[in-house]
Amino acid sequence: MSTTSARSWLTPKRIPALVAGILGLVLLIVVFANADQTQAIVLGLGGGALIAAIALSITLNYQGSGVVNFAAGAIAMYGGYVYYGLRVNGQLFLPPIPNPLAPIEGIAHLAGASSFSLPHIPVFITLAHPGQGAAAFGTFVQEPAMPVWAALVISLAVLVLLGLAFHFLIFRPLRRAPVLAKVVASVGLFIVMQAIIVLRFTSSAKSVAPILPAKPVHMPRGVSLPSDQMYLVLIVILVTIGLWALFRFTRFGLATRAASENEKGALVLGYSPDFLAGVNWVASTVLAGLFGILAAPINQSIDPITITLLIVPALAAALLARFNSFIITMAAGLGIGMLVSWIQLVSNKSWFPKAGGSALPGLTDALPFLIIIVVLALRGKSLPTRGSIETIKLPFAPRSKGAFPATMVLGLATMALLFVVTPNWRLSIVNSLVGMVICLSLVVLTGYVGQISLMQMALAGIAGFTLSKVADAHHIPFPIGPLLGATAAVVVGLLAGVPALRVRGVNLAVVTFAAAVTIQNLIFANPSWSGLKGASVNSPSILGFRFGQNDPWTKLTGSGKGLLPNPWFGVFCVIVVMLLALAVVNIRRSRIGRHMLAVRANERAAAAAGVSVSGTKVLAFGVAAFIAGIGGALSGYRFGSVTAGYFGAIPSMIFLAYAYLGGISSVSGAMVGGIIVAGGILTTVFTDWLHISEQYTLLLAGIGLIIMAIQNPKGVAGAIRDGVHLIRRRRHAKVAISSADAGSVPAEVAV
Amino acid sequence: MGVLTTTGLSVSFGGKRAVDSFDLDVKSGSLVGLIGPNGAGKTTTIDAITGFVSAEGSVLFDGTDISGLSSTMRARAGLGRTWQSSELFDDLTVLENLQVASERVDVRGFLRDLFRPRNDDVSELMVILESLDLADSADILPTDLSHGQRKLVGVARALAAKPKVLCMDEPAAGLDTEESQTLGGRIRALVDGGLSVLLIDHDMGLVLTICDYLYVLDFGQLIAEGTPAEIRANSKVITAYLGERHGEESAPTAAPDARGNASAPAEGMVTDG
Repeated sequence: MSTTSARSWLTPKRIPALVAGILGLVLLIVVFANADQTQAIVLGLGGGALIAAIALSITLNYQGSGVVNFAAGAIAMYGGYVYYGLRVNGQLFLPPIPNPLAPIEGIAHLAGASSFSLPHIPVFITLAHPGQGAAAFGTFVQEPAMPVWAALVISLAVLVLLGLAFHFLIFRPLRRAPVLAKVVASVGLFIVMQAIIVLRFTSSAKSVAPILPAKPVHMPRGVSLPSDQMYLVLIVILVTIGLWALFRFTRFGLATRAASENEKGALVLGYSPDFLAGVNWVASTVLAGLFGILAAPINQSIDPITITLLIVPALAAALLARFNSFIITMAAGLGIGMLVSWIQLVSNKSWFPKAGGSALPGLTDALPFLIIIVVLALRGKSLPTRGSIETIKLPFAPRSKGAFPATMVLGLATMALLFVVTPNWRLSIVNSLVGMVICLSLVVLTGYVGQISLMQMALAGIAGFTLSKVADAHHIPFPIGPLLGATAAVVVGLLAGVPALRVRGVNLAVVTFAAAVTIQNLIFANPSWSGLKGASVNSPSILGFRFGQNDPWTKLTGSGKGLLPNPWFGVFCVIVVMLLALAVVNIRRSRIGRHMLAVRANERAAAAAGVSVSGTKVLAFGVAAFIAGIGGALSGYRFGSVTAGYFGAIPSMIFLAYAYLGGISSVSGAMVGGIIVAGGILTTVFTDWLHISEQYTLLLAGIGLIIMAIQNPKGVAGAIRDGVHLIRRRRHAKVAISSADAGSVPAEVAV
Repeated sequence: MGVLTTTGLSVSFGGKRAVDSFDLDVKSGSLVGLIGPNGAGKTTTIDAITGFVSAEGSVLFDGTDISGLSSTMRARAGLGRTWQSSELFDDLTVLENLQVASERVDVRGFLRDLFRPRNDDVSELMVILESLDLADSADILPTDLSHGQRKLVGVARALAAKPKVLCMDEPAAGLDTEESQTLGGRIRALVDGGLSVLLIDHDMGLVLTICDYLYVLDFGQLIAEGTPAEIRANSKVITAYLGERHGEESAPTAAPDARGNASAPAEGMVTDG
């Protein structure tokens, strides 16, 4: 029994307790520091309760259906908005439902009948009318339309329905899918929920009135806490105890735990795993949504981003608890909330790192990221991956035939097109070209090597900001500036990628997403780097010929100035895309591409074949970061500036969606991915031809991503390829068989 | 001293000893069999030798201690292996599977390939495929092959790396008797050509016919070693395969003369002693 050697006290099981203990110790030391620090820590309890609730929701999902739900924060945010809409406006908003009549209307408009109108599906269901407001301090304060209890009851009912919808429409079809497909689906859900809220409520913050009574509660040492935060903590503790008891003492809990190990386990106990997953989805959705409703008033306002991004600290808390202990999850959530609040307080101290005179932002976000890195580094391989070794199911990566002529023809055609289309179309072509570059970086990393990254746009941003703040500031000329930026992206990409070498699948997605949030808040939002308007980027020029997006240009026919944007910038983008596309095609056709696909298919077998698995991954991280960096520099030139909002965590997620939709494992897929990016060619087709609002692009991308994850197909490009292949196969059925010449060097395989 | 020698090789899983101080010696150019009932620790032994589980004890390969090396470095040193379930790269063609094993990537070559991919010489790989009757399948995806062909591709891939020693994990599992015999002949031919092989298989007929020397494991312990003739006559081995009760009377059937005859009882029986 007691054969404990020197090393074995650090068993994987003890690590969460250990880390939670360290966290608690830090807290204790800090609590006894002085009164105002204690006050700050206590004031972090409310936010901590929300983090804890989202983390509990993640844990429930993981237990019930093996999903690490990136959308848990988005669900909490969504719940908050459902309540807000009911309470303030008396309206229940509906998600956009496709109107079968819309295309008919669009075609009619296209034909010139602009007044032609067909019935629309309602956006809101009005249940009560807001009362007349009274002027208070010069601002118009609206009387709430609906009593708290009614709004709360209806909101909870909506959340139950949402939970059921998530289960039946998304995750039930995915129950046997690899973990990666589930992650991708939850990223899609994240995008969809956020897109719906922005569509219905815009992205600006709405002020919300408190729900729980908010009187200060005085505690020893002169510390006080608003009672609403106190109630939140009490509720989250009660929920945790309830969940703990449910999972410990009931057949239902036992069956869920059994099912998370092995589906048959639940069947033996008389429960269908499907039923368990459904119940857990409803419970986790209601839990996250309820806390979104209750906790939003702590900040007096609700917006589509703040609560959504609490997914990062929540994931840190859930990881600490190995996705299975509710009590450690709750404690870690509260602890992170309190530490974040403490960091906010001490950031005003003189010794705290400063940026541009004010406290360095983003360190509060760096904390959960550090926790995630430390936990994953300590645990290494013993991470929660349900079942045994998960193989990542990614679409087939074809060796393209005739890539060079195709690239030349398409590239030259696009260049010519740039000079003839209207400025509106020219802009969308440039947007698509920039998008293609980002998608190409995901083709290398995710498509070829199977490493899912949610930080590619953050890396693009690193390059963009380096271009602006380092290259332009030091008058480094054009071709060197963007290359310097891309090199900086490689450095950061490797820094984030190397610790991730021991981590795979869903955990890598967690690490890269946390890294993206940290980069975004620590670097991009740094006032000395960017500010509200962002950092400017000088337009590129070679030998005095300026070809920036907004540089004036002379028409080729010599008849005066052309309309902006400058098509020569588009030509430059086309050349960059052509070069990168051919390089990525060549990767697939050469040794490194075969090694990458071997690693993607089977890491153990690749190692046995003498492939350096870590080396291949590092190279892929570096190459992908370089390509993303080039994309970041291009977008800097395209806007004439770089902003924190354009790069960062959520755009990284959205670009994964575009790349996946286009076809993540082929260059042609990246081209399609670029066409469908927001503001790209497809958007202009939507807005100019079909009269569908641009805002729907994101929503459609999210929905498309979910469908892709469920169907596991090869993306739009793969579908086209299959179609072509089918036709070709029918035509050449006999030729193909007889031409298999075994002895010679095989020609390129047509796929 | 052989080309591959282990001393005191031990592997533990959560306090259970899957392999217990195993001393194994593979002489250069010989075919050594490693047999034992299910759960005896055969695959774990190969995993430990090739670096896929952490193990205690030393592994000497070609005169140097490789126990500190990663599985990749061991493979590059010339220690190849095949897998029980082939573990092919399903997204790559058969020929590409072999190329992965035979080609190395370096930064300079990678940078050159970005602009102008090399047309790598595959003639040696085609020779390997031809020797295993796989030349026609070179440009086919492994998923389109039969089970037996997939196993052969696994062997071909291991050979593509030009190993000095090849550890084969049940290459004949799932093959019919005829396929199994052909495979045995091919393995023997490889050994006669100078390769050293450590072979695990359940097909007692195959193992007893083609091997030069045998080790028998049971519950992680070495219970017997010797030439096929010695192993056939060893009562401990018979007991391990057929259980205590059958130990004495079943001896003749457990020592088959014709290849393949005893494969079914050997696979089906589990120790009940």
